[in-house]
Amino acid sequence: MDKVKLAVYWAGACGGCDIAIVELGEHLLELAQVADIVFWPCAMDFKLADVEAMSDGYIDITLFNGSIRTDEDLHVAKLLRSRSRALIAFGSCATEGCVPGLSNVRGSDYALERAYLEAPGTENTQGMLPGRASNLPDSLHLPGLRPQVRALQDVVTVDAFVRGCPPNYEQVWKAINQLLTEGLPRSGERLLGVDPRSLCDQCPRVRIGKIRVPRFKRIHEAIPDSEQCFLEQGFICAGPATHAGCSAACIKANMPCRGCYGPPEGVRDQGSAILDAVVAGFAGQNDAAIQEALASIVDPIGTFYRYSYAVSLLNQLAEHRNAQPEAVAVHAEPKR
Amino acid sequence: MIRLSQADHTFIEQIMAEPGGENLLTCWSCGTCAATCLVRRFDSSFNPRLTLHQAGLGLRGLVLSSSEIWQCSACDACYPRCPRQIHISEVMGAIRSVAIREGFHSPGPSALVDEQVCSGCAVCTRVCPYEAIDRVALGEHMVAHVNADKCMHCGICMASCPSGAITLDTFSDTELVSRMFADGWLGQPGYLDGGSTIPRILVFVCQWSVRTDAELQRVYNLGSQVRVVNLPCSGRVDPAMILTALNDGADGVLLAGCQEGECHYKRGTLLGRSKVGLLRALLAQAGIAQERLAFVELGAFDRYVLSGLVQKMLHSIESLVAAAVLE
Repeated sequence: MDKVKLAVYWAGACGGCDIAIVELGEHLLELAQVADIVFWPCAMDFKLADVEAMSDGYIDITLFNGSIRTDEDLHVAKLLRSRSRALIAFGSCATEGCVPGLSNVRGSDYALERAYLEAPGTENTQGMLPGRASNLPDSLHLPGLRPQVRALQDVVTVDAFVRGCPPNYEQVWKAINQLLTEGLPRSGERLLGVDPRSLCDQCPRVRIGKIRVPRFKRIHEAIPDSEQCFLEQGFICAGPATHAGCSAACIKANMPCRGCYGPPEGVRDQGSAILDAVVAGFAGQNDAAIQEALASIVDPIGTFYRYSYAVSLLNQLAEHRNAQPEAVAVHAEPKR
Repeated sequence: MIRLSQADHTFIEQIMAEPGGENLLTCWSCGTCAATCLVRRFDSSFNPRLTLHQAGLGLRGLVLSSSEIWQCSACDACYPRCPRQIHISEVMGAIRSVAIREGFHSPGPSALVDEQVCSGCAVCTRVCPYEAIDRVALGEHMVAHVNADKCMHCGICMASCPSGAITLDTFSDTELVSRMFADGWLGQPGYLDGGSTIPRILVFVCQWSVRTDAELQRVYNLGSQVRVVNLPCSGRVDPAMILTALNDGADGVLLAGCQEGECHYKRGTLLGRSKVGLLRALLAQAGIAQERLAFVELGAFDRYVLSGLVQKMLHSIESLVAAAVLE
C-alpha cells in the first residue's frame, strides 16, 4: 500500500503546534511507517519551491497551523489548499485566529508601532519600522502584514479542524488516527480530536452551584484553592464555554481555563458565551454592586475573546465599521 | 360558591407551620396586593387577596388545585405596600410547599435540559433566581435538572447556558431571532452602513417593565424605524443576539427592563444591565460607538417614557453620522 503523503505547515504561529506534533514521541515512529512527510519546514529541510513543484492534490493530508497574518501566509494557504486533498486547520490560530487575532482590535499599524517603538525594552532610536512589504537587497523579500488576522477557513476551504493552543498531544494522535482510518468527518462542525460537551464535564473541581461572587479577581491577585470551581472563587474561567478535549490541563495546574479549545458545538460566538457564564455568577443586588463587578473585569476583549476574536461577531462588527477593503463573508448566526 | 362546610382548619395550621406562612391570618383582605400585582396585567383571574382569603378559610381543595398559587414570581411589588406587612410571596411559597407535599404540581411550562449536551457547568444553577436548578448524576456525567415546580419560565437560564443546552417553549432563540429578522427588517445595510436613509433600532422589551399597552403603542407608532421584540425578562437577552442585530443592519439596540428592585424575576434586570454593561465595554474596546447599545430602566410609576428614550437613541445615532461628517 502506498504511504500517505503528509505535510505540516506553520503560518502566523508561535511554534507550539509543531511542538505538539513532536510531542507525539514514539508515535512518530508509528506514523512514519504509514506516512511520508513531504513538507514540514519547522522540523525538516523542505523549501516552498518543493511544494510549488508538486501537482494539485499531490499531498494527502496537510496539517496547517498558524493564522493568516502576512501576505506569505495567504499565499502558502492557497498553495497548500490546491496541493492537498485534505486541508486541516490545526490549532487555535488556524481555527479561529487565536492570540495573533487580538491585534485586529487595534490593527496592524498599531501592532508594528507597539512592537517596534513602544514596547518596554525596545531600543529603536531611529524609529525604524518594517515596511508593509519590503524588497531587500540580495533578492530577499519580507512579506507584508495583512490588515486583519484571519483564520484559515476565512481564506480557503478547510476540511476539518483540530482545536487547542496547542492541541493536546493525545488528541493530536487521536485526530491523526481518525484521519488515517476513518477519513474526514463529513457532518457537524468537523472537529477532530475533541471530546463531547464543554470542559466542565471533565473538570475535577467541586461546584457548589449556588455561589455568586461580588467581583472578579485576576490570577495574580490571589492564590486559588486547587479543588473548588474557579468561577465560584471569583476567578474568570472560560471552561463552561469551551469545548472539551484538553483533559483539563490548565485546571489541573491550578490555572483557570482561558478558552483555547473554542466554543462548544453549535455556539457561534465564544466571547458572548463566556460573558453569559460570568454574568450569571454576579452576586450584586443593586446597580452600584453590578458596576463594581463590571469594573473588576480588566481587558474584556482579552478575557472573553482571547482565542476567538478574529472570527467573532464583535470583530465582524468592528471591521464593518472601519470598512476594510478586503471584506470577507463571515456567517452571521445567533449563538444557538 | 364557597362552602364553609369544606373548611379544613388543619390546612391553615399546615400553611402556618411552613417558613413564611406564619402571617396567613393577619391579612385584612384589603386588596392592595391585587391592585399592585403585575401578573394581573396578563391574567386578570390572578388575585393574591383571594388566594390568601381562601387559604385563611381553610379551603384546602380549592386552593391546592388552583393554578394561581404557582403564578406568583416573588417580585415582591406588593410587599412594601401591604398595610399588614405580609410577605405575600412567602405565604404563596408556604402554600406551594404544602401542595407539593400533597402531590400537586405546577401547571406552567418549565425549562428543559438537553442531557446529551449539558456539561454540568453549574452556570444555570447559579443564575436561576428561584434556585430551581440542581446538578444530578446521569451515568458518569453531572447534568442540570430543573425542578418544574420552582421554575417560573423566565428564560434566564436559557440565555445563560454557554452550551445552548436549555430550551423553553416560549421565547425560544428561534422565536426571538425570527422576530428580529421578520419581514426583512434585519439583513439589510443600516443607516450607519450607508444603507437605510434613516436610523433603525431594535428594542428588546421586558414584558413586565411596560405597565400599559399604550406605552408600547407609542413605540409602535414610530413605525419601521423601530423593531420591538418582547422578552419575558431583560435577563433573557443573549449577547450574541445583540451583536447579530448590530451586524445585520440594526444601528442601535435598546434593552428595556424593570427598575432596580422591581424586577418581576427578582434579579433578571440586574443580569440584563450587566450583559449590556459588559457588551458596551467590549464595543468601546473594539472602537465601536457605545451609543449603539443601551439599557434603560422603566419604573413602576413611569408612563410614556419608552418612546422618548427610543427617539433619544435614534437622535444620538444620527449625531454619530453628523460627527463623522464634520471630521
